[in-house]
Amino acid sequence: MEAGRILHIAIPWSPRPRPRRPRSSPLPNFPRFIRASSIQRGSYKGPKPGRDWIADWVSKNDDTVRSLPIYVGGASLLAVLFNRAVSGIAPVADASSSQSRADLLTLGLAVTNILAGLVWLSIRPKTITPVDPQGVECKVIYPHLSQSVVSEMFWAWESLSAVTCCRSLVIVYDCKCIVQIGVAAKLQNDDNPVALDAAKLMQGSLYQGVLKSGAQSYLANLSLYPGRSELPFLPSNTQAVILQPLGDKGIAILGGDIIRGFTTSDQAWITYVGDKLDATLAKYMSNKPAVVQE
Amino acid sequence: MITITAKSLRLNPLIQLKTVPKFRPRFASISARLDDSQQQLNLSVLRFTFGIPGFDESYLPRWIGYGFGSLIVLNHLLGSDSVTVAQLRSEALGISLAAFSVSLPYLGKFLKGSTPIDQTTLPEGAEQIFVMSQNVSVSQKEDLAWATYVLLRNTNSTSVLILAQGQLCVRGYWDVPDVVSKDDLLDWFKSKVEETGLSDLTDTLYFPQVGDAEFWRMLPQGTRSVLVQLVQIDPKSTNNETRSTEGFVLLASSIRYAYGDKDRAWIRAISNKLRSKD
Repeated sequence: MEAGRILHIAIPWSPRPRPRRPRSSPLPNFPRFIRASSIQRGSYKGPKPGRDWIADWVSKNDDTVRSLPIYVGGASLLAVLFNRAVSGIAPVADASSSQSRADLLTLGLAVTNILAGLVWLSIRPKTITPVDPQGVECKVIYPHLSQSVVSEMFWAWESLSAVTCCRSLVIVYDCKCIVQIGVAAKLQNDDNPVALDAAKLMQGSLYQGVLKSGAQSYLANLSLYPGRSELPFLPSNTQAVILQPLGDKGIAILGGDIIRGFTTSDQAWITYVGDKLDATLAKYMSNKPAVVQE
Repeated sequence: MITITAKSLRLNPLIQLKTVPKFRPRFASISARLDDSQQQLNLSVLRFTFGIPGFDESYLPRWIGYGFGSLIVLNHLLGSDSVTVAQLRSEALGISLAAFSVSLPYLGKFLKGSTPIDQTTLPEGAEQIFVMSQNVSVSQKEDLAWATYVLLRNTNSTSVLILAQGQLCVRGYWDVPDVVSKDDLLDWFKSKVEETGLSDLTDTLYFPQVGDAEFWRMLPQGTRSVLVQLVQIDPKSTNNETRSTEGFVLLASSIRYAYGDKDRAWIRAISNKLRSKD
């Protein structure tokens, strides 16, 4: 990952008061714009972000915060009943005296808090541990590509492996294996990766199905999928696979190490990255003078 | 309660011990004992909806807090002349509970698995523009066009401005004053960038909440969060440059806390695409 730090900010610019928020000190006034006569670069004159204490604290103590409203609501419930008992008032739920009304409203708020806490508990995402793919690292690039295409392929691989749970990437275009990067299944006896048979893949049902629909296909739990046998080059314990068609001539296969590891936003991004790769490869293939037969 | 939790932990080796807090809520530990496949108790029956479109139920605790809190105050004011100590205690408890309920939606926004509540609104009075510097190579033009398109489609952004290798590309909704003609748009943006000195940043900046500050005047009205992602030089490249960045990507959105961790990771990946290729 790059060395850039990301700083958060929580400067309450808006004058609305927040009940639990510490007020950060106001920023000093920065000078007005300085017109530059030539293309000179001044130093940055804008505001600097501060730390968002509440957001950091909540993210760090996720479990505690989820159950916090339950404890607060439960404790207040008991406190109301205790208050009634200590003051010698009978615990009767009628709205006759103002004391009872105040108690009823407080009980209502306590129940709201308890329910909110339970709702938060119900939306806790399940933590699934990633499964280390079994295989060998490999980096196979089609030999006759230009430098710009190769750098684009490497950019795609670095982005996908850094941001998503993708551990293997295979790109097949025009019946040729363009890229095979990441972890690949290894052959039985030696440490070499399983060779990719591009022609066989393109005749298989997986590829044909994806081509016909023209849309991305997400196999969230690969072990449940019978077409697994068509992907022998992926590690045997690959958990999730995305099949992204590249136009109508190619396919990109991404193997991930977490079941349902690719989120919906990942899928959307992968679709657009696939479009870009398709545009690049199509332009390259059409510009190439001759196809080198192997 | 602690013994039950320990027994359930031995049954389920998948539970990561280091994340178990000291006081695990009773409901979750009971469910771990009943069900071996680490299913949480199905509390989703408690999530209800009124079915009114556009009405967000996660803000319900806030409204209940305001409503009940004001009712408690009303009850105090209209109550009988003698207010007992017990009633005062009860009301104090009620008011503090109401304040806590009001802050619940705000806290819930930072939990994992929460969905953003607000929808992006299109800024009023701003027009959609798409300009690019003149002297860009064909591949750079494609890269810039694709990057701006993807950033506008896939993130919660309304406006994007990219300055990479000295070339400027602006797309989306911007608040350009009417005096600037179409041909001068690029120069206007260049002057704005120089005034604010954004090209000299050394760190990526993320402002989840901005007010109407003078600094962000060039962004459309109603911008609530801004992300300035620097285009970092490839650490593996052999060039020995003194500068560590080659430009920046400025994204503005009309909702607060628009860019989560995943979004920022993807934006960083897109900014790597705009690096110069050696």
